Amino acid sequence: MKKPVNKLKSPEQRKFERERRKNVLLSLSGLVLFFVLWEVLVDTGVISSRALCSPSELVGTLLTKLVSKNPDGATLIVNMLASLKLAVLGFLIAVAVGIPLGLFMGYFKAFDKFMTPIFEILRPIPPIAWIPIVILTLGIGLGAKIFIIFISAFCGCVINSYLGIKLTNRTYINVAKTFGASDWQIFTKVCLPSAVNMIFAGVRTALNSSWGTLVAAEMLAATSGLGYMIQMGRRLIRPDIIVLGMFTIGSIGALMGLVLGRIEKRIAPWRDR
Amino acid sequence: MKKAVKNTFYAVLPALSIVVILIGWVLLSMKEGSLIPSPAETWSRFVFVMTNPIANATLPVHILVSLRRVLIAMVLAVVVGITLGVLFGWSPVFRGLVMPAFELVRPIPPIAWLPLIIIWCGIGELAKIVIVFIGAFTGIVINTHAGMKSIDPELIKAGRSLGATKAQLLSHVAMPAAFPAILAGVKTSLSAGWMCVLAAEMIAAKQGVGFLIIKGQEIGDMALIVVCMFAIGIVSMIISVSLTKLEGVLCPWQFKT
Amino acid sequence: MAVQNVKIRLRNITKSFYAKGKNTPVLGDISLDVYENEFLVLLGPGQCGKTVILNIIAGLEEQSSGTIEFSGGRPKMGELGVVFQKYALFPWKTVMGNVEMGPQLKHVKKEVRREKAQSYIDLVGLTGFERALPKQLSGGMKQRVGIARAYSSESDIMLMDEPFGALDAQTRYSMEEEILKIWEKKKRTVIFVTNNLEEAIYLGDRIILLGDTPTVVRKEYVPDIPRPRNYTDPAFLALRNEIAENTDLVL
Repeated sequence: MKKPVNKLKSPEQRKFERERRKNVLLSLSGLVLFFVLWEVLVDTGVISSRALCSPSELVGTLLTKLVSKNPDGATLIVNMLASLKLAVLGFLIAVAVGIPLGLFMGYFKAFDKFMTPIFEILRPIPPIAWIPIVILTLGIGLGAKIFIIFISAFCGCVINSYLGIKLTNRTYINVAKTFGASDWQIFTKVCLPSAVNMIFAGVRTALNSSWGTLVAAEMLAATSGLGYMIQMGRRLIRPDIIVLGMFTIGSIGALMGLVLGRIEKRIAPWRDR
Repeated sequence: MKKAVKNTFYAVLPALSIVVILIGWVLLSMKEGSLIPSPAETWSRFVFVMTNPIANATLPVHILVSLRRVLIAMVLAVVVGITLGVLFGWSPVFRGLVMPAFELVRPIPPIAWLPLIIIWCGIGELAKIVIVFIGAFTGIVINTHAGMKSIDPELIKAGRSLGATKAQLLSHVAMPAAFPAILAGVKTSLSAGWMCVLAAEMIAAKQGVGFLIIKGQEIGDMALIVVCMFAIGIVSMIISVSLTKLEGVLCPWQFKT
Repeated sequence: MAVQNVKIRLRNITKSFYAKGKNTPVLGDISLDVYENEFLVLLGPGQCGKTVILNIIAGLEEQSSGTIEFSGGRPKMGELGVVFQKYALFPWKTVMGNVEMGPQLKHVKKEVRREKAQSYIDLVGLTGFERALPKQLSGGMKQRVGIARAYSSESDIMLMDEPFGALDAQTRYSMEEEILKIWEKKKRTVIFVTNNLEEAIYLGDRIILLGDTPTVVRKEYVPDIPRPRNYTDPAFLALRNEIAENTDLVL
């Protein structure tokens, strides 16, 4: 059957479509304005080219940096991979250790009582404050950096998994009990699923925090990686390298967040957002 | 009876865990050639830096220097961040126009701004304030915006039915309704700001507790590093506890009686 | 029957919503008259567009088509009293703060609006609770605040959107009694929306039975039962059965 050519639209539909068009237009003009303003400010010298590169320069730097090792000794991709490897490794270890620990703390009261003081002491210390002690004891190698990333991601994982279990709705547990569920079954079949969203929230903050900490660690002590690259950019006063590094760091962070969102949707599709 | 035994067991456990930590710490420091200072050493170092200047200031002065930077930046971040967040929540045109650019810049970790900021402002006070501002500001914007978005539409309807103008809706309904979310944003942002000032001081500074900890690394003074870590942790804790208290005072309608 | 002045006249009101590429009609051609100072009940099942009708009368939403006329012109926002189903009290304001909010928004002097608000707080029987926060009140008390707040608009039209829907049965009965007392003390045109048949018969001068999606007016009933009405009165039960036969309400 052929669609009616001039489908009658209700006033509400017309209004909705008008709004949507307006929004798209606004967003586009906002972005264009942002880049044009930036370009003009730099090109006219209102902002010195020693302080900031223009967007057009940035594109040029991006293209050269894909193949060139100057000025920091590695191409953009190599720096990216170096950072990613550290971040992902430290982050994964933190997830693998932190989540089970948090879950057990949430479920077993004795374990909770024993571990809580340790956490209350460790938790307030920001991850970057660990950097000096780690550098002195472990040096500036791979292990040191992974350890720092691990610390930055660990607490978020533990605390959220712990809370997730603690906040399980009592009613669900009672329902399970009336069906004769064992403690272990209650833990795996009731507490765990109901904690999933909390856990993911923890993993998300852990990811952000580890990525941010990594940059700090690389700026303080490293010979490669994106943090090292922007630090070199500063020493050589190459704003284009710095801005390129910043955007690369930002987009990788955002991308990892998106991937995590996808995984969460797969694992816990019942969550309504 | 059995219950009483269980309860004492639970009461003893936290104390036991502290004891285990202390013993672990002592053992680590006693190991041959260990770099870790013993608790006693750390304590005496702490007493020393409380009264004797290290790198031209005592520990409390270093802490105050850091806190001052955070405070100034926070005031700015609160003012600018709440304004921007409210505008995002209130004006679709403003949101449409500015949000994409904001989203483009937002995922960049605040610390990654440091090199650029050092080029712009040098390594003086201004650079630190700017970096803390960046670290704190995004969180406030996002929380304010989220708070504005999640206002119960019934409250807006009630306000309109009482004859509120658009400006009155904002000041009498939307702002107070979003206030708890805004405060939560300020709270997380303050922690973020505290982190940023440490990072900035570690990378380039002449004073501040972040500088002191890096000084400890440079001169290989482990006890000083540990003292700084504890000091930083305690300040973080005080910040977060006092803000939670403040939340209770400022929005008493939020919590169950 | 005495001559009644029409206060509000709805003619061929329709409303549809648009979401996710689909147009959903909610109201299908509603026409009705509301008389001055009557207690009109709109009775309809759960998710029908009763609330939408009230919102359109209140000016909180716009109809897709049709006309609405008020004798003496369309009241401005704030010149109509609205009571909401979930109370919609401002949680950061005290009882007094909530009730005096309308006049406050109109920049009425503090002493004047306080006195007014106090009289309405007294009217709904909350004397002594002026400084309490909504979270400290029970559901019934919250809705009393809602009613006082709506009355403080000094409007001669009151719109009530399932105001007792969230209350337990016991509280509900006493609130029904209360609302009639208030109405008799301060006569106003009341449009009261409910999904509860007994409540409709207990309260209404007239009952307009709504039904189906999109919502249309099914039938109109005028209970000829003297007040105070009684749930066990044979006339009450007869009317109840008569309406029940005409609806798919779950009773």
